[in-house]
Amino acid sequence: MNLENGWINTFDLCRFYQRGEHIVRAAEDISLSINKGEFIAIVGASGSGKSTLLNLLAGLDTPTSGHIEVEGIKLGKFSRRQLSNYRAEKVGMIFQSFNLLPNQTALKNVEIPLYFGTTPRKERRHKAIEILERLGMAERMDHKPTDLSGGEQQRVAIARALVKNPEVLFADEPTGNLDKDNSSAIIDLLLKLNKEGLTIVMVTHDIETADKIARRRVKMSYGKIVEDTSLSRDISI
Amino acid sequence: MTVRDLIEISLNNLWRSKLRSFLTISGVIIAIAAFVSMLSFGAGNQKYITDTYVNFGLFTNINVYPQRADDNDTVEVKPLTNAVIQELSKIPGVNLVYPYDAFKVSVNFADSLFFMQARSLPIAATKIKLFSNILDGKTFSSDSADEVFVTHEFLEKVGITEPDSVIGQKLVICAKASSLDSALVNILDDKNGSLGERLKAIKIDSLRYAKYRKRIMRQELNEGIRRFVDGFTNRQLSAYDTLTIVGITKDFRSRQINVAPLIIPEKKAAQLSAGGFGIGNDPLDLYNAAKAGMLFKTDENKNSKSYTRVTLNLDPYVSQEKIIDSVESLGFRVFSFAEQFKEIRRFFLYYNLGLAVIGLIALATAALGIINTMVMSIVERRKEIGVFISLGADVREIKIMFLAESAVIGAIGATVGIIIGWAASRIVSAVMRAIMERENIPPFDPFALPIWLIALALAFGIIVSLIAGYYPASRAAKVDPVEALRSE
Repeated sequence: MNLENGWINTFDLCRFYQRGEHIVRAAEDISLSINKGEFIAIVGASGSGKSTLLNLLAGLDTPTSGHIEVEGIKLGKFSRRQLSNYRAEKVGMIFQSFNLLPNQTALKNVEIPLYFGTTPRKERRHKAIEILERLGMAERMDHKPTDLSGGEQQRVAIARALVKNPEVLFADEPTGNLDKDNSSAIIDLLLKLNKEGLTIVMVTHDIETADKIARRRVKMSYGKIVEDTSLSRDISI
Repeated sequence: MTVRDLIEISLNNLWRSKLRSFLTISGVIIAIAAFVSMLSFGAGNQKYITDTYVNFGLFTNINVYPQRADDNDTVEVKPLTNAVIQELSKIPGVNLVYPYDAFKVSVNFADSLFFMQARSLPIAATKIKLFSNILDGKTFSSDSADEVFVTHEFLEKVGITEPDSVIGQKLVICAKASSLDSALVNILDDKNGSLGERLKAIKIDSLRYAKYRKRIMRQELNEGIRRFVDGFTNRQLSAYDTLTIVGITKDFRSRQINVAPLIIPEKKAAQLSAGGFGIGNDPLDLYNAAKAGMLFKTDENKNSKSYTRVTLNLDPYVSQEKIIDSVESLGFRVFSFAEQFKEIRRFFLYYNLGLAVIGLIALATAALGIINTMVMSIVERRKEIGVFISLGADVREIKIMFLAESAVIGAIGATVGIIIGWAASRIVSAVMRAIMERENIPPFDPFALPIWLIALALAFGIIVSLIAGYYPASRAAKVDPVEALRSE
């Protein structure tokens, strides 16, 4: 591991929550370095702090202490606008429950991130169609999420996350709601994207899947990193 | 995010909860419809009055009256005589001065006798905007012509339904005028006997008794006054003439313009009216003449008639204030239509403000509906807000999205409200016009929808909706994305 020299570095990152009289230590003393092009799987049991770490890295949450650096710049020093830009330009996110807008077509869902910026209307549509075609969803672009299978919905979610060409994809249990075939298809897609150069940080509780696809596995337990293993084997897709 | 994007997103979101959106927008529609229909009534009436003032050229007319006796007891009340008219016409900026000279006449037309008012009018006055409009651009052939203009009031009185049929017809006009002469003559010789006969009846011997003397004095004074008044009102002198109807005035009855049923050329009217006798046939004229010290005319004022009012037609490019000052300095009261119009405008300002407040109260109620809808929407779309933030939306953009949704509610509500409000006012207007026609009043549209009212209603609808949406939008902007994404 190349601590402090990665694209994203975290330093003694802590995130505590006050729950009544108790303090929940969701993330504690996390120092991690993420390099460009990596495929990192963050594994651990439920409540181990995987999603908290992902939210902190994505700039959705603010650490209680410690800090995150992106390309050498502290995330904590970003203004509210800069933080939004970071999420909009550099980060893509996908979720276990896809979080697509149910009343909008696949195409409209993919266009949403482009609304938050200055992309012209025509270009917005063009980009959304392009990414949907790339992910094999061109035929289904006019369908609403309820008309799509779980795997297709996740593909649309991935398309939505990638439409702005982010540098890193944060995936929170992307196969958690999918059956075996759809999971496998999504995993294959993520591997393909990683091979094309996209940095992926994936949270999963499934160690087997993590070992199968990731080049690096970070194991968390009770908010702390308990294992950071490089999985140096060839991955065939 | 462009305005088009915001509208598109807002419409999509409103479409998601059709019933709720419909009910919320309905509140705005009702409020704006009420606002528009109420204010359009004010605007319609204001337009009608403004049109009247403009069409009749009232802004360039002022009326001049003698001072009221109680206005200033120490100053003698100056009568409005022909000499004063000459004086007034010399004031710079005064185009024309003409008196209001109206008198009662009996009219023999189509073998029937009618009693009505007539007024005199100089030819010059027929050419000013007011009478040019009323007389439809026509005029008399001369100031002493045997001609008369009749109004719709005349036609109604004589029962003519085809106005054009009276043109060229003749009518015999009779003006009776009282005079001091006839009143004084009546003291001397009454139907109850002459003054000599009464004096003969007095017992000279008994005059030494104070009681008898007082009784006789009271009795004779009372009889003398009775004879004077009786002579003034009943021993009238009559003047007859046959006049040809040369025109019918425009129907202006609903325009608050009062014109006597008959309009007669100035010199012809002078021959007919009390002008030749000194005092009008109205007992009030007697009172006014007595009060003005003109009951018994001197040699200087023997032929000068006094008027209750004269009208001044002014040059629109000369300061009206200066002219009014000049007239007032001569010791007369002035009534300015322009000043009255200012008062009317002020009245309509308060009237419209009052109506606007009522409309705004309705809109405030609708605003509560918007707040409720938007708060509900935020609770339901909490996760969506979290997704937007995770996709790069700034809190400001989230706030704008929800404010835009409120504005769209307001814009749709205001637009439909304006249409419904106007449609409602059209229905009421149709009913009112039907009533006016039934009541024989020339119908006019009491409602108007000027551009400013459309803009005002639209602005109110949107601004009130934006204010209502501010709190929910601020709440949306404060949504914690982590919590929101975790929620179901």
